[in-house]
Amino acid sequence: MAAHTAQRANHRKLLVLGILVLLAAAAYLLVGVNVSNEKLFWYAMRLRAPKLLVMLVTAFAIGGASIVFQSIIQNTIVTPCLLGMNSLYTLIHTAVVFVAGSGSILAVNANLSFAVDLVLMGVAAMVIYGYLFHKTRHNVLYVLLIGTVLTSFFGSIQNTLTRVMDPNEYDALLSTLVASFSNVNAEILLLAVMLLAGIVVVFRKDLALLNVITLGRNQAINLGVDYDRCIRRLLLAVTLSIAVATAMVGPVSFMGLIIANLSRQLLRTYRHSQLILGAALFGMFTLVGGQMVVEHLFHYAVPVSVFITVGGGIYFLYLLLTNRRV
Amino acid sequence: MAPWLSRHRSTLVLAVLLVVLSIYSLFVGVIDLDTSAILAGDFEAIELLLISRLPRLLAIVCTGVGMSVAGLIMQQLCMNKFVSPTTGATISSAQLGILLALVFWPSATLWQRTILAFVFAILGTWVFVWFIQRIQFKDVVMVPLVGIMFGNVVGGITSFLAFRFDMTQSLSSWLVGHFSMVLRGRYEIVWLTLPLVVLAFVFANHFNIVGMGRDFSKNLGVPYNLVLFLGLTIAAMITASVVVVVGAISYIGLIVPNLVSMFKGDKIRGTLVDTALFGALFVLVCDLIGRLVIHPYELPIELIIGIIGSVLFVGLLLYRLNHGRKAIRLGAAGASSCAVSAQSAVQKKEGE
Amino acid sequence: MKIRQLLKQYDGKTVVDGVSFEIPKGKVLSLIGPNGAGKSTVMGMISRLVARDAGLVEFEGKDIKDWKSHQLSQRLAILTQSNHIQMKLTVRELVAFGRFPYTRGRNTPEDEQIIQQAIDYMELGPFQDRFIDELSGGQRQRAYIAMVIAQDTDYVLLDEPTNNLDIYHATNMMKIARRLCDELGKTVIMVLHEINYAAFYSDYICAFKDGKVAKFGTVEEVMTKETLSEIYRVDFEIQMVEGKPLSIYY
Repeated sequence: MAAHTAQRANHRKLLVLGILVLLAAAAYLLVGVNVSNEKLFWYAMRLRAPKLLVMLVTAFAIGGASIVFQSIIQNTIVTPCLLGMNSLYTLIHTAVVFVAGSGSILAVNANLSFAVDLVLMGVAAMVIYGYLFHKTRHNVLYVLLIGTVLTSFFGSIQNTLTRVMDPNEYDALLSTLVASFSNVNAEILLLAVMLLAGIVVVFRKDLALLNVITLGRNQAINLGVDYDRCIRRLLLAVTLSIAVATAMVGPVSFMGLIIANLSRQLLRTYRHSQLILGAALFGMFTLVGGQMVVEHLFHYAVPVSVFITVGGGIYFLYLLLTNRRV
Repeated sequence: MAPWLSRHRSTLVLAVLLVVLSIYSLFVGVIDLDTSAILAGDFEAIELLLISRLPRLLAIVCTGVGMSVAGLIMQQLCMNKFVSPTTGATISSAQLGILLALVFWPSATLWQRTILAFVFAILGTWVFVWFIQRIQFKDVVMVPLVGIMFGNVVGGITSFLAFRFDMTQSLSSWLVGHFSMVLRGRYEIVWLTLPLVVLAFVFANHFNIVGMGRDFSKNLGVPYNLVLFLGLTIAAMITASVVVVVGAISYIGLIVPNLVSMFKGDKIRGTLVDTALFGALFVLVCDLIGRLVIHPYELPIELIIGIIGSVLFVGLLLYRLNHGRKAIRLGAAGASSCAVSAQSAVQKKEGE
Repeated sequence: MKIRQLLKQYDGKTVVDGVSFEIPKGKVLSLIGPNGAGKSTVMGMISRLVARDAGLVEFEGKDIKDWKSHQLSQRLAILTQSNHIQMKLTVRELVAFGRFPYTRGRNTPEDEQIIQQAIDYMELGPFQDRFIDELSGGQRQRAYIAMVIAQDTDYVLLDEPTNNLDIYHATNMMKIARRLCDELGKTVIMVLHEINYAAFYSDYICAFKDGKVAKFGTVEEVMTKETLSEIYRVDFEIQMVEGKPLSIYY
């Protein structure tokens, strides 16, 4: 039957993607490493392995969050980063350091500060976006537009705080704030993985409903789904995933858009387990590959997030032009 | 006399407020300046006034007038209340132009840099409008979203070049707009906004008609493409001359025209003066806040506008949602943004 | 199923005002009325898609609100007019969603059989592996009906099922609605714009005007010159065709 062959074809595609990711990961670990000298080899591994892990985890967080978010709001040319979640996280982190001071345990202990940021982020996002969804009567486009405005709102406040801040405090903040793919925040890796696993477990029932959610509100309710509650919970999951990703590597705005759409184009299915897996694999491949290019071709001169912004943006415009209706 | 007064009351109030605040702003700064010293002919005081305070005030007024009028023109031409220099890739294109000048033409004078900023701002705006005309939007809100994405792409290219050529430091002063570097001899380009605004006023009716759509303007004998590109070019040039001097100032072009049209309607001739005055007032107030909050230091105006402007804009959006179409009057919702059919234009006329 | 004193207000404007009627089991009931009469809102409140401000929708002796949503979805299905999905979903996959209330997505071979029957019943066999967004309006509508059939509920609510369909597909749609009642024994409730479809294919009609029930009764009781003229404010002629009272207006 055609549906089954399509299924099998998708499994094959995902397998190929997985192998590509493994190859890229191996290349990332080994390219330019002196394998003959054991000491140098382990030294390089200690440097590269956490970075690689961070990239893989980030790709999963962003890919999953983007697919879920797109399906919730039934629009494939958006990403949760448009809602200003990146800059909300940056603002919260700055505000915590600002209020607590750079010498406090909150700023010094990466894991603790991450945990506090996450809790605040969850609460703030639920209050702000919950209010917005309520006020706009679930008009997603308005929420999105307001979200883009909030991006600059949060950004401006954060920028103002850093200017008002004591310069010493600012220095301390800067080292934790400017996480990027070249300067990953690997200290929180374990906590981040546990958190993402926790999100998947806690929200597994809601994630299973995603396939039905994509049929739209009316159909979902018709099929017996508690729609509003499910959407709220999924949004919380998206928020937390984005926070985890931002905490580890800093903001990457277009990444989710590219990998989610690549996954949708490649797999052409509604099954979210496959879509999320596909997006995560694409993300891993893009990130690891991009980071290799940055490290070996550009010698760290240009951060990989800039490539992603330009590439993702052009891909986005291409999607718009080919779709013609958005 | 009485009807004239009531019709122009808002304009008068805005003008008086602007004059009062302008005079006040001259006396706000790190060094105390008092009137008696100036009147007594204190050379230092007068010099401070002429070199720093007055240029700053003039730059503020030109910025406010220019950016809000640029926003108004773009909104009229595209028949979409959410288009502005920020949400239409104009600002980011101008920044790209400046960076290219810095990278490839290091010896360029300020004027040469300005010309490159002009060229890129105009091109960027044209491309954006061409782009959104080719797409059918289900909802008008998609247009600014696309514009913001578009701006991100241009901004991404800019930061790529900046990283590549080690220019991030010098780029940052054009990313966050501020007036603290405005001194005599370094800001006069911003005066260019004034003749451009006058030009916009002359062609105001044309812009109105073109905003009604291609068929509508053809019917009235107005060359659609010519006026569209003329209007966009004026808006882009105004924006670029502001960006070159003070850097990116977002939101004014978005919020000011919307706030004014809530009270005054959409006839461009009727709102242009008020929009310009209100824009200048808005920027001046924001600048004063930035200067006073952490006195004797100051915050860049872009941050103040980013905070106040975004709150205002969100308020405006929610108000519109909950009070129907009165708050932000949109062209035919769902129609392609810059090509509204004549039919909806007629409906709009009937609605007036 | 009993509806009692339903009330709905939007921005202080009352759109549904004290609507009460009873839905006869095993029959086809059509809700008709001019634009803005509140018929679609009533349908929304019956099907729990729209929250009500006051009143009661009693289903099998229990208020709709007190039903567990997934249990209700095994008894009552609603098909609304706007169904544009962006997903790449084949017809068969869409119909399979009809079993979701029973299986939460894990379909057994028995479910597959029910799905196949629904597809065959709607003569969608040749299209079953096509993507929904590649179908014509009429085919898509039939796919959604097939999903509702697979959902296997006693009650089927259709909100303007003929909307956006040409005469051929619209008439087919009405025949299908009739068959759902006659062959499968379902209670069908529809919102219709076209009065003559309501007259020809239903057993009962509920006519709305200004948020109130203007007339509820059998087709013969409602399809009279006087009632229709009062509701629609134009002149009507009634003519019997195949034993059904059809209206003429111009």
